Amino acid sequence: MDKKPKKYEEDDDKKEVESGFDQKNERPVRRYQRRRQSQFVPDYIDWKDVDFLRRFIPERGKIMPRRISGVAAKDQRRVERAIKRARIMALIPFVTD
Amino acid sequence: MAEKRTYEMMYIAAAETSDDDIATLNETITNIIETGGGSVVKMEDMGRRKLAYEINKKNDGYYVLFEIEGSGQEIAELERRMRVNDTIMRYLTVRVDEERKTAQKLTDKREKRQSRNNERNNGSATINQTEETAAEAEDEE
Repeated sequence: MDKKPKKYEEDDDKKEVESGFDQKNERPVRRYQRRRQSQFVPDYIDWKDVDFLRRFIPERGKIMPRRISGVAAKDQRRVERAIKRARIMALIPFVTD
Repeated sequence: MAEKRTYEMMYIAAAETSDDDIATLNETITNIIETGGGSVVKMEDMGRRKLAYEINKKNDGYYVLFEIEGSGQEIAELERRMRVNDTIMRYLTVRVDEERKTAQKLTDKREKRQSRNNERNNGSATINQTEETAAEAEDEE
């Protein structure tokens, strides 16, 4: 039941952590790559705009995590709220099996 | 309360409801709002739609959207009425004025930044300026 989509984890490793080696201290360093915002988020997120919200919902129907979509924290909260509202009105499914 | 608030109210009625019934329903809703001191800014009939999931063992619904301006008192009355109405399967009221205000603030900020940047590289960027405004207009959509 709790099978996470594999895609998530693979992407995660590739994008977020780039391992290297700190020569002075002789220990590995984790280098974080700051990604550009890959998704454009408008100033006003309309909860009725299903086509836009669908971009943040993979097949399973879950809300796409920020680390995948690359959206700013503030924007993620706004997207989340809009998705939740749309779900209540049955514009978007809660889950898709 | 002098403060004016804007709300978006959407409801889903059973899909088999006749158009006449929907019309009378919308009229009653408008009446409730107006007697409560509010006004209907916009009414949008979104028609019959497939539901994303089953509600009350039904797969279709009739969607109607209202945009309401008022103090908030009429919303309470409206929700009370909708709760007992059998044809309305679901409703949602969202207060939108504050979110719109913050969105407007963001837009203003971005525009200011844009114009400042344009000023800075004025000499070289006069040609680009028109391009940028065109791109911005596209973004707004």
